Amino acid sequence: MEPANTLREDGECKGGILAHLERLETQMNRSHKRFEGPQRTQAEESTLGTRIHKLRLLRDKLRAEVKQRQAEIEASAASTEPDQTLETSEQEVLETKLENLKALLQAYHFTGLSGKLTSRGVSVCIHTAFDGNLLDSYIVDLVIEKPLWIHHHSVPVFIPLEEIAAKYLQTDVQHFLFSLCEHLNGYAGRKYQADRLQSDFAAFLAGPLQRNSLCNVLSFTYKVELGGQSFLFCARLLYKDLTVTLPTDVTVTHRGTDALSTSWEEQRVSHENLFRTTSLHKAFTSFAGGEKLNMSLPPCYFH
Amino acid sequence: MEAERAEVRALEAEIAALRRACEEPTAPWKETAKAKKSFKNIYQSESERLESSKDLRRQLGHLESELSLLSTLTGISIRKYSKKTEDLTSTVMTEKNIKKVLQRYKLSGDCHMVTFQLEFQILETQNEKNLSSVVTDLNIIMEPTEYPELSELVSRAEERRDLFMFFRSLHFFVEWCEYRKRTFKHFKEKYPDVVQLPEGATSSCLGIQNASQPGFELVIVWRIQIDDEGKVLPKLDLLTKIPQQALELDKKNVIESAPLSFRTLLGVLGIEASLESLIKLFFNTKE
Repeated sequence: MEPANTLREDGECKGGILAHLERLETQMNRSHKRFEGPQRTQAEESTLGTRIHKLRLLRDKLRAEVKQRQAEIEASAASTEPDQTLETSEQEVLETKLENLKALLQAYHFTGLSGKLTSRGVSVCIHTAFDGNLLDSYIVDLVIEKPLWIHHHSVPVFIPLEEIAAKYLQTDVQHFLFSLCEHLNGYAGRKYQADRLQSDFAAFLAGPLQRNSLCNVLSFTYKVELGGQSFLFCARLLYKDLTVTLPTDVTVTHRGTDALSTSWEEQRVSHENLFRTTSLHKAFTSFAGGEKLNMSLPPCYFH
Repeated sequence: MEAERAEVRALEAEIAALRRACEEPTAPWKETAKAKKSFKNIYQSESERLESSKDLRRQLGHLESELSLLSTLTGISIRKYSKKTEDLTSTVMTEKNIKKVLQRYKLSGDCHMVTFQLEFQILETQNEKNLSSVVTDLNIIMEPTEYPELSELVSRAEERRDLFMFFRSLHFFVEWCEYRKRTFKHFKEKYPDVVQLPEGATSSCLGIQNASQPGFELVIVWRIQIDDEGKVLPKLDLLTKIPQQALELDKKNVIESAPLSFRTLLGVLGIEASLESLIKLFFNTKE
């Protein structure tokens, strides 16, 4: 018996097929019972045959299902009314444009200056950075009237805001903002160096770092070791120009009564030059023999 | 037998594939877009749709004004911007409440006629106490210009990973170049016979000479330099060319002190007036 060959591939309705299958199964079981031993192969064949038959039916069912799904998709795609699509797509275009513009506005942050329009004028945000580190931001709210005036700001009190405003605000707003930017970045850079010195190189300091709020006058005593001997050096850094992050005046003196030997005098002079040309924390990194004392993260800077 | 077994295997494979096809959602993005649209269509009437378009346009207008404002303030026009975020937090870090995120940015735009493209990375580290943002890489690509000072600026900015300095210096440098160009052009147009621009429109020097007084020439060299800290400084110098005879008549050493006097003049009159007065010298000839 070859049940597979007697049935048609496309099959009939479900009920009929299943009933037929059942009949076939019982037939097979009966034949299996009747013919054993040498009839084994024949039984195997019929099992396989039944299986093939079942699988074919299942496959056809699934094929039909997939076809239907595809038809559904095509139908729905065709059915969207053209008018509605046009209008909503205009909205989508506007929305995409809006998102793009918002992103571009955000991008201005990286120029160091960003801002937005207010009801009375403009709110400018000045960003600061030093040595690749992005630091604090400060806001200046300008009211656009004659004369221009500052309604509100977050600039620290020791930055000469009034002086800069008196010089440039009425004649050249751009110049006013850039001058303020220079002062704030100078301050942020000096503060960063002083903070790093205090946090990362405390082991070198003999006594606290003395600093003013503007961080343009720094004074500290530090230990220097050379060939088994150790000395205390006092450094005084003055930043006369408030827009710079390297000191304009440096004095390194020896703490002690004895005069310095030539090699120590050389050291003292080289330190003076180092402080004049390199940022504080980099100078101390070189004192530490170039090792990076990276025990803690830089201090708190939110923006 | 073998043929039947092969057929079984083939059928089983096909069934598995068909089952997968049935399980797959119908092009998911289409579904959500469709869902969005139908959602909107259900809850929005015709007039509401028009209103939201109007509202969007108003918002767009507002944003465009803000962009125009920033472009004027910074001197920089940003045209394209993209950002990609990568979370670098390891499990060890999460245990210690530390979060590390790497942000990759691409930015392009122009400053007057100078175009630039920037690619940079910012590493954000957040622990319990504070948040730090560090620029870990900066690449600047600029189209070649006739200003060699700009390529110096680019390498300095890249080395220091100093975004802000790059934009500030670029803005002021270009502004000064444009001002120099305008000023030189103004004088060339006003006194075409006396004024020469040897290097053309973007010349850094201006020559003054009078055909009726051959041998006498004044050259004003106007350099625009960017110093180490990124400050843009214009530097003007005066060069003189005088015939030997005239030099011998110069008892008061006016010629020798001319460059210094020019500097003083600049301080008093400013650039334009100083240049004008020097050019006028060449008109008061036959006396």
